[in-house]
Amino acid sequence: MAAWHYQSDLLLPGPLKVVQAFGLAMVDPDTLYNLGLTLRRVLLGLAIALSLGMSLGFAMGYSKTVMQLVDPVINPLRQVPIMAWVPLTIVWFGLGDGPTLFLIAMVGVFPILLSTVSGVQSINRDYYNAGRSMGAGFWSLFRRIIIPASLPEILTGMRVAVSAGWMSVI
Amino acid sequence: MHLRVENVTKTFSRNGSSNTVLDRVNFSVHTSEFVSLLGPSGCGKTTLLTILAGFQQATSGRIVLNGAAVSRPCPDRGFVFQDYALFPWMTVRENILFPMKERKIPKKEREERLAALLAMAQLEGKERLYPSQISGGMKQRTAFIRALAGGPQVLLMDEPLGAVDHQMRQTLQEELENLWLKDKITVVMVTHDVDEAIYLSDRVIVMSARKGRIVADVNVDLERPRARTGQKYHAFKDALTGHLKAAFNEGLAAS
Repeated sequence: MAAWHYQSDLLLPGPLKVVQAFGLAMVDPDTLYNLGLTLRRVLLGLAIALSLGMSLGFAMGYSKTVMQLVDPVINPLRQVPIMAWVPLTIVWFGLGDGPTLFLIAMVGVFPILLSTVSGVQSINRDYYNAGRSMGAGFWSLFRRIIIPASLPEILTGMRVAVSAGWMSVI
Repeated sequence: MHLRVENVTKTFSRNGSSNTVLDRVNFSVHTSEFVSLLGPSGCGKTTLLTILAGFQQATSGRIVLNGAAVSRPCPDRGFVFQDYALFPWMTVRENILFPMKERKIPKKEREERLAALLAMAQLEGKERLYPSQISGGMKQRTAFIRALAGGPQVLLMDEPLGAVDHQMRQTLQEELENLWLKDKITVVMVTHDVDEAIYLSDRVIVMSARKGRIVADVNVDLERPRARTGQKYHAFKDALTGHLKAAFNEGLAAS
């Protein structure tokens, strides 16, 4: 309807034109190169968010002391709007990959951190006791109980982080 | 095997007020004995069991196993949880292998023991299933043999039949007795059910709701496998019901 009204490919191209353009873009080396660049940034940023968020999250979820130490720092940081970081990151990292990576990691780290913390905190105490009474030490508890028991919640956080990461890549 | 509870006291304090749940509790458990701790809710029997397991510490007093004081969880004391606490992300097989892997038992021996335990609990063919895919009775049997798999000296059971209806409970008690008769491990079981205590135990220790004082220590010398009939059975039932009532009233008088 709108296309009929405006009759302009610039304002609102028809579906056929869109499909054609998409086909061209898919074989255009420039587009593909840039797509690869973006993908690399998102994956790298998420990897940073994941390793940071999960390790901090496990520590905070497991130990009340770590929670009390780190939480007062994390919470204010979480409230900062993501766009407010932009000028700072350019000062810190200059132009290029640095600021983008920082932003993707920054928006990704909180959902992963929070879901890891809540995942670890919601583990049934009996699982720890069962593990210990069957001879599991700390690393064994971590690897065979804490990780698998909290994984479903961590995955939820990762899903949020991925979509947030894509949105902040620009 | 010799297990001794020596002057165990447990006091919980919060905001300056303290509450003594167990006050200088003493008793011994002998090899291959099936002992029940029977008492009204709030008598500290589960607290005592978790102290035996090492999940929490006694305020004073100690637990002595084979001459050595124990205060931390260890595979020498297996534990069967009220709702089994089977790991839902592991299959029946992986659950049972857990304690054996932690104890670094060689693979060949692990597999042999696994097969023997599965046969004993009639769980052959179920080992690839997850806990959510098996019945309550199978879960109980899995929990029981998982606790046995680590080779404990004594098995601690926290109301292992607490969450099922009456009919099911009787069936599970029979299954449990069957399993136990095949591997006469020393057992300390917590229960609030007189019938269950008599049906399963060699000895019933009745604890009072007043600081876990031991009201009675009764030897149940009925033949095994047991039946829930006969004069002797009912005499035990009457006696223990009386003790349990006294134990409950002591708590009322104290509060």
